[in-house]
Amino acid sequence: MLLLAPALLVLIITTTIPLVYLAWNSLQNLNFSMPWMRGFAGLGNYIAMGSDPRFWNSLWLTIIYTGTTVTLQVVIGLAFALLVLRMPRGQGVIRVALILPIVLAPVVVGLFWRTLVLSPDFGLVDLVTRALGLGSYNWLGDPQLALISVISIHTWQWTPFAFLVLLASLATLPPDVYEAARLDRASAWQRFRYITLPLVRPAIVMVVILRMMTALSAFAAIYAASGGGPGSATEILNLYAYRTSFVELNLGYGSALAMVLLSITLGVSWLMFRLRRAR
Amino acid sequence: MSSTRLTRPGAALRRLLMFCAAAVLVLVWAFPVFWGFLTSFKTERDVLAWPPVLFFTPTLDNYRAVMQGNSSILPNLWSSFVVTSLATLITMLFAVPAAYAMARLRMRLKRTTGFYVLATQMLPPVGLIIPYYIVLQKIGGLDTYSGITAIYLSFSLPFAIWLMITYFEDVPFEMEEAALLDRAGRMRTLWYVILPQVRGGIAVTTIFVFLNAWNEFLFAVVLGGNTVRPVTVAMYNFISVEQTQWALLSAAAMLAMAPVIVIGLAAQRHIVKGLTVGAVKGGGRR
Repeated sequence: MLLLAPALLVLIITTTIPLVYLAWNSLQNLNFSMPWMRGFAGLGNYIAMGSDPRFWNSLWLTIIYTGTTVTLQVVIGLAFALLVLRMPRGQGVIRVALILPIVLAPVVVGLFWRTLVLSPDFGLVDLVTRALGLGSYNWLGDPQLALISVISIHTWQWTPFAFLVLLASLATLPPDVYEAARLDRASAWQRFRYITLPLVRPAIVMVVILRMMTALSAFAAIYAASGGGPGSATEILNLYAYRTSFVELNLGYGSALAMVLLSITLGVSWLMFRLRRAR
Repeated sequence: MSSTRLTRPGAALRRLLMFCAAAVLVLVWAFPVFWGFLTSFKTERDVLAWPPVLFFTPTLDNYRAVMQGNSSILPNLWSSFVVTSLATLITMLFAVPAAYAMARLRMRLKRTTGFYVLATQMLPPVGLIIPYYIVLQKIGGLDTYSGITAIYLSFSLPFAIWLMITYFEDVPFEMEEAALLDRAGRMRTLWYVILPQVRGGIAVTTIFVFLNAWNEFLFAVVLGGNTVRPVTVAMYNFISVEQTQWALLSAAAMLAMAPVIVIGLAAQRHIVKGLTVGAVKGGGRR
């Protein structure tokens, strides 16, 4: 108990007390740009969300962003893992190449994409589209393309993670099951559908949940690439809470937005804990 | 399995497919980083050349510019180094004993503490930044090393505890039972018997804690200032609304990311474990 107490104390001070304070602030009128408005607001901030289109927009974007990035990561990661698994040589090179995005700071990734990859005319993507005669696009300036762009950035950075975990999981599958299936003349698709998929399901579930957590708290890459814009085209809940608190200085409403994000995240982590226990 | 596969008619096609997959993987994921590396050696004129130049006269001017003079990022590298090292050291001092306690000691509350630590790790940083800002502002902790280091513990400590638990659980229980029977005492047992067994785990955990703290951005940008300004924040020096200095940005990014790239490649075998912490077994196994 003596060993555990100091760490728990630090965690209580740095996470739990701030959390309680956040909940308290979310019930206040706390707007630094309108200091005369201070006071207890009750559930006012939460009620205000109901009629705030920017909140619903950000909630919707959060769902789209999380859903698409996680799905893409798992599908692309699994497909490549299946192909690379049987490679006799060269797995080392691939592993090294794929570790690069994972270790880079998300803010650096965001800035890199904003300049070197996605900027109009001179970015890598535009170099390709121009060379193919498809013309040049303002990937981060156009509202619709911007959402696709920030989804691509996140997918780019974290697909290697899904790939590496699934590859490790696939490598442990027993080969004799496949031998038996082959003798029974099971097609490649059948082998995948009825053997591989069920066997790697725990790994997939784990990847999905971990990736959801990261996607839900993603901030730096979007902040660096588009800042939530243009307008509020890429403003997921994270960005909205940040902008409300530190750009518009409305910390009360920002706290309430953060509370909503927090409940979603805790819901997902509760799900994760349930799954861990079930195994 | 593979020998029978090669004799089948689809083998050539399959090999081609594999080769393409490998090429795409390396190209899509490593090339942007490599392109940034190349850009850091270009002049601003070469950067914006059309068609893009693959062969150019490399220059070290960009590196000189980001290490000397007005736009030097050396103070920022130092800032990152101080915050990250302090946070890593303190994290490990707290995390190792705590993880041992959670992995070994029979406690009724073990499950509860396990979930508590996991839950604190899951808190979205944007949620915590508002109270941190208000509190640090009140006690004068904004833009100070002690304030920001303390805040970094909020995400590094739960992570380190969870990762260390998995290593402690791999140490055979019999070993410490033997030591305890020899009346070695809990602390002595931990120090002389258990810790040498998890040296590797401590090294890996330290690396990941360092990596996460080095890459942190949100806390640094909100709670930092002119005194504490880590490199992740300093990247913005090279971007403004009017003009982006691509070559300088690339050079600065290469310098800023060199430590994590080197560390990441050195620890590549452990990266999957480090990233799945909290999700793989561990915790309530005993």
